[in-house]
Amino acid sequence: MLDKIKQIGEEFSEAIQKVTDSKELEEIRLKYLSRKGIFPQLFEDFKALPKEEKPAVGQLLNQVKNQTQNLFDEIKTKVELAGSHSDSYIDLTLPGRSKQLGSKHLLIQSMNEIKKIFIGLGFSVYEGPELESDYNNFEALNFPPDHPARDMQDTFFINDDFLLRTHTSPVQIRLMKNTKPPIRAIMPGKVYRNEAISAKSYCLFHQVEGLYIDTDVTFAELKGTLVSFVKRYFGDDVKYRFRASFFPFTEPSAELDIWWQPKDKPGQWMEILGCGMVDPNVLENVGIDPEKYVGYAFGMGVERSTLRKYKINDIRNFFDNDKRFLEQF
Amino acid sequence: MIISLNWLNEYVDISDFSVDDIVDKLTYAGLEVEDIKDYKKQFENFVVGYVKEKKKHPNADKLSLCIVNNGNEDINVICGAPNVEEGQKIAFAKVGAVIPENGFKLSKVKIRGEYSSGMICSEKELNISENHDGIMVLDPSLKEGTELASALGMDDTILDIAITPNRQDALSHVGIARDLAAMYDRELKMPKFEFAEDQRKADDFASVAIENSEDCPRYAAKVVLEVEVKDSPGWLKQKLISIGSRPINNIVDVTNFVLHELGQPLHAFDLDKLADQKIVVKSAGEQTSFMTLDSKERKLLPTDLMICDGQKSVAIAGVMGGENSEVTTETKNILIESAFFNPASIRKTAKHLGLSTDASYRFERGTDPEIVVLAAERAAQLIAELSGGKILNGTIDQYPDKIQHRKVKLRYLRITKILGYEIPNEEVKRILSNLSLEIIDGDENEIMVDVPPFRHDIEREIDLIEEVARIYGYENIPDVQKISITLDKTIDQSQYKDELRNHLTGMGFYEIITNSLLSEETAQKFGSAITILNPQSTEMANTRPSLLPGTLGTIARNLNVKQPNLSLFEIGNTFIKKNEVIKSFDDIEESTHLLLSITGKVNVDQWYTSEREVDFFDLKGFVNELLRKISLDNVLVDSYYHNNSLYLDYSLTKSYDGNVIAEGGKVKKEVLQLFDIDQDVFVFDINIDLLKKIPTTQKVYSEPLKYPKVVRDLAFIIDNNIDSAKVIEVVTKSSSKLLKNIKLFDIFESDSLGKGKKSLAFELEYYDESKTLTEEEVEKEFWKSIKAVESELKAKLRG
Repeated sequence: MLDKIKQIGEEFSEAIQKVTDSKELEEIRLKYLSRKGIFPQLFEDFKALPKEEKPAVGQLLNQVKNQTQNLFDEIKTKVELAGSHSDSYIDLTLPGRSKQLGSKHLLIQSMNEIKKIFIGLGFSVYEGPELESDYNNFEALNFPPDHPARDMQDTFFINDDFLLRTHTSPVQIRLMKNTKPPIRAIMPGKVYRNEAISAKSYCLFHQVEGLYIDTDVTFAELKGTLVSFVKRYFGDDVKYRFRASFFPFTEPSAELDIWWQPKDKPGQWMEILGCGMVDPNVLENVGIDPEKYVGYAFGMGVERSTLRKYKINDIRNFFDNDKRFLEQF
Repeated sequence: MIISLNWLNEYVDISDFSVDDIVDKLTYAGLEVEDIKDYKKQFENFVVGYVKEKKKHPNADKLSLCIVNNGNEDINVICGAPNVEEGQKIAFAKVGAVIPENGFKLSKVKIRGEYSSGMICSEKELNISENHDGIMVLDPSLKEGTELASALGMDDTILDIAITPNRQDALSHVGIARDLAAMYDRELKMPKFEFAEDQRKADDFASVAIENSEDCPRYAAKVVLEVEVKDSPGWLKQKLISIGSRPINNIVDVTNFVLHELGQPLHAFDLDKLADQKIVVKSAGEQTSFMTLDSKERKLLPTDLMICDGQKSVAIAGVMGGENSEVTTETKNILIESAFFNPASIRKTAKHLGLSTDASYRFERGTDPEIVVLAAERAAQLIAELSGGKILNGTIDQYPDKIQHRKVKLRYLRITKILGYEIPNEEVKRILSNLSLEIIDGDENEIMVDVPPFRHDIEREIDLIEEVARIYGYENIPDVQKISITLDKTIDQSQYKDELRNHLTGMGFYEIITNSLLSEETAQKFGSAITILNPQSTEMANTRPSLLPGTLGTIARNLNVKQPNLSLFEIGNTFIKKNEVIKSFDDIEESTHLLLSITGKVNVDQWYTSEREVDFFDLKGFVNELLRKISLDNVLVDSYYHNNSLYLDYSLTKSYDGNVIAEGGKVKKEVLQLFDIDQDVFVFDINIDLLKKIPTTQKVYSEPLKYPKVVRDLAFIIDNNIDSAKVIEVVTKSSSKLLKNIKLFDIFESDSLGKGKKSLAFELEYYDESKTLTEEEVEKEFWKSIKAVESELKAKLRG
């Protein structure tokens, strides 16, 4: 009996390995496992055995039956899976159902990148109107009326007192008038310059202005903060320099250049922002005591660095909004 | 400002520093070098050549075959210039030379069967002048083989320096030298010169009277008699050419030389053309026009400052001289004007004349009142030297109210407070002294500094701190490595717009940014636009009253490049004139808008579905989803109009508290025609400023249903002109609160329904939060609704 059980177990195992489809599998089930199959018959035979043989045979029989059942289940799963494949073929290479995402304008993406860095450094974000008063845009920022410094910024005038802002700096004035120091904020927005439209210049562009007023703000901190910014924005290995410059509303004033190295052309310094310590006259104009409070300010254009970063050679691309341009970013 | 390094070295000896080092120093100190022209490099491969032989080219009439010795060997060169002759010394470009005029690199060529290995150059080809009449013939004493740059005295480097408006003192070679002297800690060497004066006194030959001393605080004059007006000598011509100034004659060239040396604009009058040999400085008054020396009639304002003689005006002060007193080749006696004018006065005049000259550019930024006599003497000395003239004894100098030096206090601690870095006191004093700012008093805490009037920009302590920082070098002030961050609340006013952008891009919209300036014709069609006083062009003469024209322009441009299927949005400001005259911010309304637009088709060329045109309901779906995302879906009130707008065929408005916040629909054909758009466009304009003000309530979680809901479908046949919203309204009104939701899910029209009829199918959802609804309860509700619709809207339930 023991030998017979072993032999049947081996026969089953051999037979089921050859099974390839559900029909053959069913034949095996009928032969071995169905109610009238070989295994139920073995259990009937077992009942008839003398008492002393039962423990050994019973143990083996159970063991072989379990192995058989497990093996059958395993093969059955395989056959079923295989069967489902062959029933209908799916062309998996068909394109996916299109759910196209749009995109923010590339200039907005650049501005958001800049914003994110300064928000991380504890700056707030404020906005102001584009149609400004001459006072906020020039006079409060220490541009005397009829001064050559005004020639630096070609202005679209509405009349003697109103204009399209030439920089985001008037938002500084609005902020300082309405808020008590400490003030730490950036001010992104659109600004206008009365220039002919060409590949290199447009009548409007985007700026991000920054301002920090407190009792212990220093030029060294301005430098440190902006260095941190350029490293985060252009990468840790960016080469930069601060050089002296002139803006009516800051003193000392500086410009920050980064080294731009195209692959196929000689490298050059590229001016990316102007900055400096807020001029005491500006603080006085907004009612902040310049003996007690010190501040720094900076302003950067968004277009120029975006042009370079994405190798766009014509600024008008930003404002033509050709779908083939928009889709790329 | 064009600066010659050779020239600069006469005032500060920095010849032991490299060009790169000097350029860096200048740039770091705020005198940004924008361009460097290295003549030595430019004239690499150019030498003095000797024309040994000249023959006619056998195959070309106009060409000569020359043998040129370049110092080492004889070379065959073909030359087309008519003036080439045997025995000349010429500017010879060797093979490999790059011609400055056009960047062309020379190689050996064959012209009509003859070889040519080099080129004999004209002045134009060398970029020295516009002269292209023939080749440049050099001084015969030059030795062949000499490098051309040194033979021409052009072994120089020319810097183009951008001078910021505050640094008028740097608009000369001496001015730049002063900064370099401070930076390199070297001595500034003012020009030293001696001259002999005639016994005759200047005062006897000319006089000066200032009538308007506010606009002309100082006027000095030097008189030189018996001059011979002629070409300047080579060294002077060369100096002027090197900085891009055209030599004219020895008198004018000297005034230009002194301008570039000392920064003082000068003017030379023909003394014999001055009536009464007299200079009177006064305002134009009743005189309305004046002929300047460029033969142009200039219109004058009464306030323009004029230089006059005993009878008439002879110059517009500080801007340009007059034709009537100009120095010509006939001139024998001259009066040299050296003055200090009020910057604001000159600026006003130059601006209204639209005329910017070397002189006005400097005067309007402020020149040095204390250098006028030195400059006049310098010019007199050079003119006498170059023209054989006699300098009369004495300088006429009218300076009624001497301009005082400013005294500015500087606290050492304040420097440290502003910079965040301590510069040693001795270093501070050294820097200021080197900049000609004298320290007149002081102790260990503070110093008193004497500021001469050539530094108009230094008035306050902070101005001195800048000077110290600038010369000390920003790069030498260490960056802080840590900053403190406030724990106070921060604000982000741009966040709201960004949130809208996030949702819109998620729905497949592309953001555009269009020009806020429009032509008046376009702008005025879309609202009361604001006019720009000084537009760049008529295309950009108004600010936009609406985002719509910008969007339609964008769609039109995309249609031109075969991109007809678009989902776009723009977030930007619009400008409306509320009152005709803009005196305050109340007269204008600047507001931030969001304009959504869709046009063309969706599902284009997709394998799983068929394409279709977008319509109003696509747009409505987007807008509602956007509002749901910002929790405003149940707050705004919708209204529908079939013809109520200037720009839209039909429209949907969304209001809050009776104010329209947003409006959209199908753009009218006649509006589209303005932009040559021939497909339907649907737009939605949302006023973000108003939207932002609507309070949103905190979202509160609602539990999922505990009891099953019961769903019933029904369809009505109803008159075509009854809106689905009306049916929903009647159903809702007739139901108890067990009806939780009603949704339209099918609509169709067919002849079988009857003429002017349509079928609307709805799904009704019932449930009770506290128990399972019974069949009977729902049936009762359901039939109540059906009856109501049938009776109120003359509808019929579809069987």
